[in-house]
Amino acid sequence: MRTFDSHRLRQTVLRMSKAGSTVHVACAFSLIEMLAVLYRKHLNAPGTGPDDPNRNYLVLSKGHGVMAQYACMHELGWLTDDDIDRYFADGTKLKGLSDAHVPGLEVTSGSLGHGLSVGVGLALAAKRKGTNQKVFAIVGDGEANEGAIWEALLFASHFHLSNLITIIDANGFQAMGTTHEVMDLGHIADKLKAFGLETREVDGHNEAALDRVLTELIHLPGDKPRGLVAHTVKGKGVSFMAGDNRWHYTRLSDETYKAAMAELAGCGGEVHA
Amino acid sequence: MRNAFAAALVKAARSDPRVVLLTGDHGYALFDEMRRVCPGQYINAGVAEQNMVGVAAGLAKGGFRPVVYGLSAFVPVRVLEQIKLDVCYESLPVIFMGDGAGVVYSSLGTSHQSTEDVAALRGVPCMSILSPADASEMTAVMDLAFSSARPVYVRMGKADLGVVHENIPDLQWGRMIPVQKGAGPLVWLATGSMMQTALAAARDWPGSAVWSVPCIKPLDAEHVAAVCGRHEAVVVLEEHSVYGGLGSAVAECTSTHGPTWICRVGVQDRFSRYCGSYDYLMREHKLDVESVKAQVRDFLIMRQVRQSVRPLAA
Repeated sequence: MRTFDSHRLRQTVLRMSKAGSTVHVACAFSLIEMLAVLYRKHLNAPGTGPDDPNRNYLVLSKGHGVMAQYACMHELGWLTDDDIDRYFADGTKLKGLSDAHVPGLEVTSGSLGHGLSVGVGLALAAKRKGTNQKVFAIVGDGEANEGAIWEALLFASHFHLSNLITIIDANGFQAMGTTHEVMDLGHIADKLKAFGLETREVDGHNEAALDRVLTELIHLPGDKPRGLVAHTVKGKGVSFMAGDNRWHYTRLSDETYKAAMAELAGCGGEVHA
Repeated sequence: MRNAFAAALVKAARSDPRVVLLTGDHGYALFDEMRRVCPGQYINAGVAEQNMVGVAAGLAKGGFRPVVYGLSAFVPVRVLEQIKLDVCYESLPVIFMGDGAGVVYSSLGTSHQSTEDVAALRGVPCMSILSPADASEMTAVMDLAFSSARPVYVRMGKADLGVVHENIPDLQWGRMIPVQKGAGPLVWLATGSMMQTALAAARDWPGSAVWSVPCIKPLDAEHVAAVCGRHEAVVVLEEHSVYGGLGSAVAECTSTHGPTWICRVGVQDRFSRYCGSYDYLMREHKLDVESVKAQVRDFLIMRQVRQSVRPLAA
């Protein structure tokens, strides 16, 4: 197993994006550290596969960030170099949005506001079976426009799903602009608290802080569902992508690919020819 | 019929702790026995149908056998995307109960009436659609639904129209059930609430065969075409739009395996205009016995005219 180094994870995302000429690079980049910490410590027991019946569930409700999850699955050996470098080739299995037919992806999302409810159901199932499984559900701040997200949070509180940890990827952007411009969420942490979640906020790119707060939330006593607002930067990790919403849609050219890979290599990532 | 559903649910829940009922704050009194006998397997998910279906999907993924109950105007129509993505794409064993299908809520208006639910679901892969006509069929339908490891929609329409079968019929996926034998020129295929209307109207055409169609999807196309092929023309009756429901399905089957003349009796691509009793609205939509007879007579005249102008034989 590899170390989920954030620079290498971003390079894997770039490889996929270049191979498939895909969009949504920036949507994946805001999730990298969050997923690295989760996969390193809080999801599968070492050596277990994606279908391990005792696994903790990672529900990517924000399906647009799926390349970040593929990069982690590549680190685990669940995906091969061929899967990465032939992304979007005819007849391949990895799609541009989360798809539950892929082992390791728990939900089919991309149409937003679905995954959190399925995660609520998984958490309820675990409670009823008396297992100790946790559900980590990652929701985009743009996705929080969807009414179903708030239905799910109401339900999670009412049924005391303390094994559900809802993580908001608060990168401040959605497809057409900032969340402030498009549909102002106000103070998202206050909203989660108002819905009955035991809520924390964290710098979503500080791995030590993420690990600390996730560990705290997991072990916190009480029957409230848990919420974590991860303040992130859309496009984090590559200087010319960070905070620039055009990288929700822009495809990599040869030049931007090389520049981004080199910048990550200079920060400790791998040097690619 | 609703009591047969409630009894089947309680029986399944008692014998299998994985069975859980989710309701969107509907079903007053219907679940009294369920709540008394298996209180831990009853979940009121509140007035939040989208989340309810997602939760059902998560429960099914976690090994449970959810039954999702709602009015058919909301389950499946309001939550069609959740059914498609969260449940059907993974072919999860979730049973959806759509109560009050058709124009049962005659006085409440369009929001509670549902004449497009079958059409909406027929195109969703992995979903089966069952539509019982009486309490015995409901018992058979629930047995079939609980025996399935895939998504099933049970359409529950007007529930107190009387007995069709003296015993619980032998129900198999894709097959119709014979109700009245006959070798006359007409065969009548009816589903759900239109079964009694079919039997009553068919009396004007002696020798009519009448079949009940509790399984709308899957439908065994060769079986349907073979049954239709024994007669000169077919009448299909449903309390649903003539677009996308049983009539369409029968036309699809026969057009490939044995083209024939089909009179599709149903709601004519429009909303209910007025308020009133169930019987009143059924008359408004020309789904009462006298209106059905008139439609069939007109259809047979039209068929005769067309055949004499353009004979099929060379």
